[in-house]
Amino acid sequence: MDALAQACEDIARVSSKLKKIQRLAAYLQPLDECDLLLAVQFLSAGPAAQPGVNQTLFPAEEKTSLSVGRAIIREALQMATGWDREILRICFSETGDSGETASLLLRGLSADEPMALRDAEQLYTQLSLARTSTRKRELLTQIYLRYRPLTIKYFIKIITRGLRIGLMERMVEEAVALACAVPAASVREANNRLGDLPQVALAARRGELASIETRLFHPMDFMLAKPLERLEDLADPAHWFIEDKYDGIRSQIHFDNGQVRIFSRGMEELTQAFPEIAAAWKNIPGKGIVDGELLAWRDGRPLNFNILQQRIARKRVRATLIQEVPVIFMGYDVLLHNDTLLLNKSFEPRRQALESILENAPPLLHISQQHKAATLEDVDRLFRESRERGNEGLLLKRKGSLYEPGKRTGAWRKLKRPFGTLDVVITAAEQGNGRRAIYFSDYTFAVRTPSGGFANIGKAYSGLTNNEIKELTKILRAASTEKFGRVILVNPEVVLEVAFDGVQKSPRHKSGYALRFPRILRWRKDKKSDQSDDLARVEALYNSSLVSPPASNCRPPA
Amino acid sequence: MQVQFTEDGIHLPEIGLWLDNTQPCAAAWLSHAHSDHARGCHAQVIGTPATLRLYRMRLSLAENQEAPKMFPLNFGESMPWNGATLTAYPASHILGAAQLLIEFAGERLVYTGDIKLRPPLAGDTTEVIACHRLIIESTFGLPIYKLLTREAAAQRIIRFAQECFDEGQTPAFTGYPLGRGQEIVHVLANAGFRTAVHGAIAKFIPVYEDHGFRFPGWETYEAKAIAGKALVVVPDHGRVLESSGKNIRRAYVSGWAALDNARLRGGAEELIPYSDHADFGELLELVERSGASHVDVVHGYTEPFAHILRSRGLSASAPQRASDRTNIEAEG
Repeated sequence: MDALAQACEDIARVSSKLKKIQRLAAYLQPLDECDLLLAVQFLSAGPAAQPGVNQTLFPAEEKTSLSVGRAIIREALQMATGWDREILRICFSETGDSGETASLLLRGLSADEPMALRDAEQLYTQLSLARTSTRKRELLTQIYLRYRPLTIKYFIKIITRGLRIGLMERMVEEAVALACAVPAASVREANNRLGDLPQVALAARRGELASIETRLFHPMDFMLAKPLERLEDLADPAHWFIEDKYDGIRSQIHFDNGQVRIFSRGMEELTQAFPEIAAAWKNIPGKGIVDGELLAWRDGRPLNFNILQQRIARKRVRATLIQEVPVIFMGYDVLLHNDTLLLNKSFEPRRQALESILENAPPLLHISQQHKAATLEDVDRLFRESRERGNEGLLLKRKGSLYEPGKRTGAWRKLKRPFGTLDVVITAAEQGNGRRAIYFSDYTFAVRTPSGGFANIGKAYSGLTNNEIKELTKILRAASTEKFGRVILVNPEVVLEVAFDGVQKSPRHKSGYALRFPRILRWRKDKKSDQSDDLARVEALYNSSLVSPPASNCRPPA
Repeated sequence: MQVQFTEDGIHLPEIGLWLDNTQPCAAAWLSHAHSDHARGCHAQVIGTPATLRLYRMRLSLAENQEAPKMFPLNFGESMPWNGATLTAYPASHILGAAQLLIEFAGERLVYTGDIKLRPPLAGDTTEVIACHRLIIESTFGLPIYKLLTREAAAQRIIRFAQECFDEGQTPAFTGYPLGRGQEIVHVLANAGFRTAVHGAIAKFIPVYEDHGFRFPGWETYEAKAIAGKALVVVPDHGRVLESSGKNIRRAYVSGWAALDNARLRGGAEELIPYSDHADFGELLELVERSGASHVDVVHGYTEPFAHILRSRGLSASAPQRASDRTNIEAEG
């Protein structure tokens, strides 16, 4: 672990990607198999208390969490260093990183004992097994005082899951390849198939990469679509397969001759929440992994996402709810069929496989219709038709593209139109993380209430340029009324225009509503806070969302 | 002794003296020549000869404006001032930087200005002055700030330059025009590297030379001829160099380089946490050795540092509105 920490520190020091990879490979190369597994585990997936289990990819019920959060990390540091809460708060706020703060404050206090990777694994396991937070805190305090501060820095960063040394998973793959003297592409492909880099590294070391197979019933990462901001940005409409973009729950079906499991994008299992869909899949012969969307559905049309939501929250559903909120599955891609891995095949054969799986399927299993377009006008027409069918917009898949799990490469594009926009007022701001740690970049915003006050409705942090964030930081600092750690409350003065994909009821905010996927469109310097939108407008938007989306007035963003 | 803390500086009304006042006043003590301390045209200024010379170089007088009347005060020398005795002691911060001991009506008050306790790369060595009341800065007044010694910093600077040359790259060090810049040049030039120095830094080198510091073979930076040379430039120019597409690696020599986010903030690859300010440990040592029964913390992490002193049983306050490091580009 000491050598891993030093390697990370060196990697942070160089900005060249190649040098980072070389440095990491030099570290990995001499490790024995057990250490290689652990090192790659720590670098790519976190402190799994069970070695070899990939946090991002293993099934929900195997998920083990250390339950060591920021509070425990800080309280243990308080106990180890004697610095009081207030001083620690400021220190954390200055560095923006728990591991770094711990290492800086522990200098000169610790016994500087060496920590092997296996020791780290054991310590993570102990932390995970400790039942109470008091016990975890005590354990962590002992750890702080026993090992080298630099090692502690990365020991904690692995828990908080942010190394912040400019190392992407792709680079770890390349370093593994370099360290094991195998082609980078073979490691990458094996990782795509298995989604478990530590195991892939082990196979690479043993020269067994070719034998790595996809595991059924272990959810894989989903391929993601990059937003297409303006229709005109689409270079050649004829190069894409076009489908409707659905507003449901993205899900992955794993099936094997009557055995079925459904996973969400959060890698959670949904099988029990949607028993009728699972039952339908039991009738599908063979085995495979299918990507698609769960949709609330009535009379051949999707219902609003707000209606579908009623089905998510519960583990088991009442029969009456299944009647009230009928659901279908809309399939649109396939990753594995029988013994053929389709990830690395182009979209056309995948689509063929999907059609063969879903032909003669029970009525609850649909297949996403494909459209073709020759011109932008065609795409524009398809967009409007999709909206008329009650869908969100269009999903475009580039001809010949591969299925790239967990990636947003631009091989898929989505064309949507926001549900609505609101002019809102900033009421609080929080310092960002990493690159943005020195700025107030996360904003809580509010709408006007009838009594002349403001009620919070959401939080957003994307959409402004770095220069705007810099400028806003100054203004908000000047407008701040109170400070709590990294958060300041500010006088409601700055107006932002936010776009969002829906309005939901929510007890979380004072307004009683929350926005789905709010993002900042622009800073309305031209508006004063009394010109912002009010609660009545939000209520009206919510009520309109309970009926199916309006078919009119829904041209794609231009 | 009465002490008034204002937004522009510190006022000692009984003896008619302002300390590092940023607005024009009747009489100001200039602790050192950085522009956030020595600025504005006062009627009378007191400072060490080096500080006064640097202050004059930076002062731009309007037409018909009268130059300040200057009272030079050498280290260890005393002068009477409206019933008080003023004595200057080295502060190590930059060339000429001084602490001021003010003795008045039986009370000893020390104003540190910006101070560094450990010996600097190039400059004078500090003393701790015993006093009743201490007014101290706290640029790095948090326990996360532990900075390199002169020896370790010099070693890191040389190692980085050598590493770059070995790989066929050009090292670029960024430093503030007055102080850090000359210190880095001093290390590189004396280690035998060909060192090219940005004009804003170069113009103060003769002043250092007049005070006995040697910079063998340094040359003025020219954009067209950088190969084989170590560059010492001002921070903004460091960014220009990096985006020029030339094979340049940047090192950031600053107290702020103690934190990893300095890498993002400044864009430098190599962080060398060395400063002309005292780090946290030095600040504590200074306070403790001064024997002061009350401490005023006036710059940097004023509130937290005063809080830490109080938790150690000292009487301490942060009289000026805590700046909370609002100016994140603060020199360090």
